[in-house]
Amino acid sequence: MTPPNTTQDPAWLRQQREQAWKTFAALPLPTRRDLDWQRFDIRKLNLDKVADGKPSVTEKLSTVPAPGVIFCDMATALAKHPHILQEYLGQLIAPDEPRKFNALNAALWNTGTLLYVPAGVHVELPVEILYTFTGQNVAGFPRTLIVIEPGAEATVVQKFTGGPAPGTNGAPSVHASGTEVFVKDGGRLHYISYQDFNPNVYDFTLKRARIGRDAEIDWVIGMFGGSFQRYDIECEMAGEGGTSYMYGVCFAENQQQFGQFTKQHHRAGNTTSDLLFKNVLRDSAVTNFTGLIKVEKNANGTNAYQSNKNLVLSEKVKCDTRPILEIESNKLRCTHGATVGRLDEEQLFYLRARGLPEGQARHVLLEAFLEPVLARIQVPAVYQEFSELIHHKVSR
Amino acid sequence: MSTLVQETAPSTYKEGFHDDDIKARHKVPKGASHEVIDYMCDVKGEPDWMRAFRHRSLDLFLKATLPAWMPGLRDIDYDAITYYASPIDKSANKWEDVPEEIRKTYDKLGIAKEEQKMLGGLGAQIDSEMAYHNIQETLSKKGVVFLSCDEGMKQYPEIFKEHFAKSIPPEDNKFAALNSAFWSGGSFVYIPKGVKCDVPLSVYFRINAEQFGQFERTLIVCDDDSFCHYVEGCSAPVYTTNSLHAAVVEIFVKERARCRYTTIQNWSTDVYNLVTKRAFVYGKGIMEWVDGNLGSKRTVKYPSVYMLGEGAHGEVLSLASADKGMWQDAGAKMVFMAPNCTARINSKSISGHGGRASYRGLVQVNPQATNCRVQVNCDALILDASSRSDTYPVMEVDGDLVTVEHEASVSSVSDEQLFYLTSRGIKKEDAVSMIVNGFIEPIVKELPMEFAVEINRLINMQMEGSVG
Repeated sequence: MTPPNTTQDPAWLRQQREQAWKTFAALPLPTRRDLDWQRFDIRKLNLDKVADGKPSVTEKLSTVPAPGVIFCDMATALAKHPHILQEYLGQLIAPDEPRKFNALNAALWNTGTLLYVPAGVHVELPVEILYTFTGQNVAGFPRTLIVIEPGAEATVVQKFTGGPAPGTNGAPSVHASGTEVFVKDGGRLHYISYQDFNPNVYDFTLKRARIGRDAEIDWVIGMFGGSFQRYDIECEMAGEGGTSYMYGVCFAENQQQFGQFTKQHHRAGNTTSDLLFKNVLRDSAVTNFTGLIKVEKNANGTNAYQSNKNLVLSEKVKCDTRPILEIESNKLRCTHGATVGRLDEEQLFYLRARGLPEGQARHVLLEAFLEPVLARIQVPAVYQEFSELIHHKVSR
Repeated sequence: MSTLVQETAPSTYKEGFHDDDIKARHKVPKGASHEVIDYMCDVKGEPDWMRAFRHRSLDLFLKATLPAWMPGLRDIDYDAITYYASPIDKSANKWEDVPEEIRKTYDKLGIAKEEQKMLGGLGAQIDSEMAYHNIQETLSKKGVVFLSCDEGMKQYPEIFKEHFAKSIPPEDNKFAALNSAFWSGGSFVYIPKGVKCDVPLSVYFRINAEQFGQFERTLIVCDDDSFCHYVEGCSAPVYTTNSLHAAVVEIFVKERARCRYTTIQNWSTDVYNLVTKRAFVYGKGIMEWVDGNLGSKRTVKYPSVYMLGEGAHGEVLSLASADKGMWQDAGAKMVFMAPNCTARINSKSISGHGGRASYRGLVQVNPQATNCRVQVNCDALILDASSRSDTYPVMEVDGDLVTVEHEASVSSVSDEQLFYLTSRGIKKEDAVSMIVNGFIEPIVKELPMEFAVEINRLINMQMEGSVG
């Protein structure tokens, strides 16, 4: 890794990148001694060996869906809408935040997307971002910025694919993405993001949203590919009456490792949040869910829920779950639940007694286990794609 | 001489007096040093292996750091603490033989001779040493041993050496190392094979000295098919300076045996209560911790059960009430090491008047622990806007033949509940008390009656003035 080349950047961005690079360079690689990393093995990752050359990246954006809406890649955004970037970029992901891989993205991002929806505009059709990076031993750093102005509404579908060509062994490719989302007062965002990277990709994702008064966001996250993924997804309810729904589905197999770190941060009163993360683990897969609900003083009337359910299908898997509550308000309702278990023998028996062969009965139950998350996808084509991805893995 | 300081503790803490009549017969200079250890070993007449063990533990303590997740302990001044003080020369087994000034203290605390009648045995520790230890004749005839830990080491060296520091070695954590270096007092209990000790053995711990470290050590061995219920209570005077209580409790529950260990912790709000409690449970054995934390400035305590034999069962019932100036960091650990084991954790916490109650728990299922099942329930009640409640559970599962369930909720006394009761003519304060008592009922009903009464009294006292 070499420091960012900032010769083309405006002063504010140059400052951000340099600060972020300092942060990145100062921090050691996480090890198993770090609480969040105890179960993960990222020793195969050698950042010094990752080539600095750009991977081949293609970003396909659907057409601009409504008048006044800005939907473009980051290079265009920098050229044409620098004021928007300057106003929002780095607001939620600060360049001096001590997280090594997020700082790496903040220092080196070179691709990405801007979506800006003006006040009151409802974008009917989903906007789509299809992102692919190709190459072995390369690094990709996309940055996404979404701004939903007051009363506006949009649906975003973001898909990440690519990595080293399937079948190639050797050094992994690195992918670190950063996404900042602002949903202003009364705005709404439906956000579906999923990845189906090739094996041998190590991905570090951070998504952060700030939700205004009476605004709402619903996320559906799909985690399917890659060798390692650390997914941080955080929502800050900054205005009264805000709502966040987070749903995640992860199918972990072979030696895949997934870390899911979620945060439901209630800073204002009468806010609501719900979370459901469902994981299936098979072979020698590893997952760690760490979910925090934080309710600040005076965030009265908070209603927060969090659930992490894990289905384990092999004796070699490692499955951790850490649902955390930190509560400083006394007018609230806050609940969480977590389970780790195998397929229900009684349900299996029920299906087999009705003539389903055991293998098929298992498939049905697996797909049914994940369905409550998929049911939250409001774009039919994407629902279909999630279903097919899961079906393909289930019936391997 | 210190006087009662109202700012640091609510005036309702009736155990907050200190008796200046009690004079330390043995007291060492402040600070954790190897000289103190040598002095203690000489006074106690300990074997060489224990002296070596203590010295090694002190080195470990001095080297050990605190884990990052354990905040709020940085202001402990280890050099200002006295590590050994004893107001007595030897433990009595007749109440009449206990020095009068100490008897007076226990009388004031209500731990009178009469209480022995419903107990199988009673122990009383003041500062570093056990002032009293006695057991009913019927139990001692069956071979039940109930002694101070020091006496246990002398009279039953084989059982002692076989189990001592086996479940909690000094390497385990900083405070286990500290205890291992300076341990004194505590109980040694041995229940022979097949003996059911159906009346509780009870011990009361009292800190009387100022800026003092109490490091009692308890070792309980329940041999095959036996049963024992051990109950401990504790209190301390209110000073302006901090004291330290770092106990280690090791329990071995052999095959098909059952042990229940009940704690009612009511330290004054200047005591750091940093306790390591662990039980090793063998085939089909049952370990139950009933852990009530109502006092102290800061409690760090996670009673644990290591299920080492097939079919073992672990249970923790935890009740924490964090009032003004307190941080109760309580919880439980369940470690599954064998097949077909089951466990349950039930935690209830209340925070009020700016107190902070945290549940911290670990469920660890190792690969060989197939067909295991564990259920965790944590409920928290938060009484006012200045208080705080946290839940930090960790569940680590290796393998597939398990069922792990965790549920937690945090809520407040709702306006609807209050309205329902007050509209029936119940005063608001009484209504809050009723709701809180209902909330903790599932745990309180597991306590011996005298302790249930005591808990309700303490909780109701903490509730006073909590309605905003």
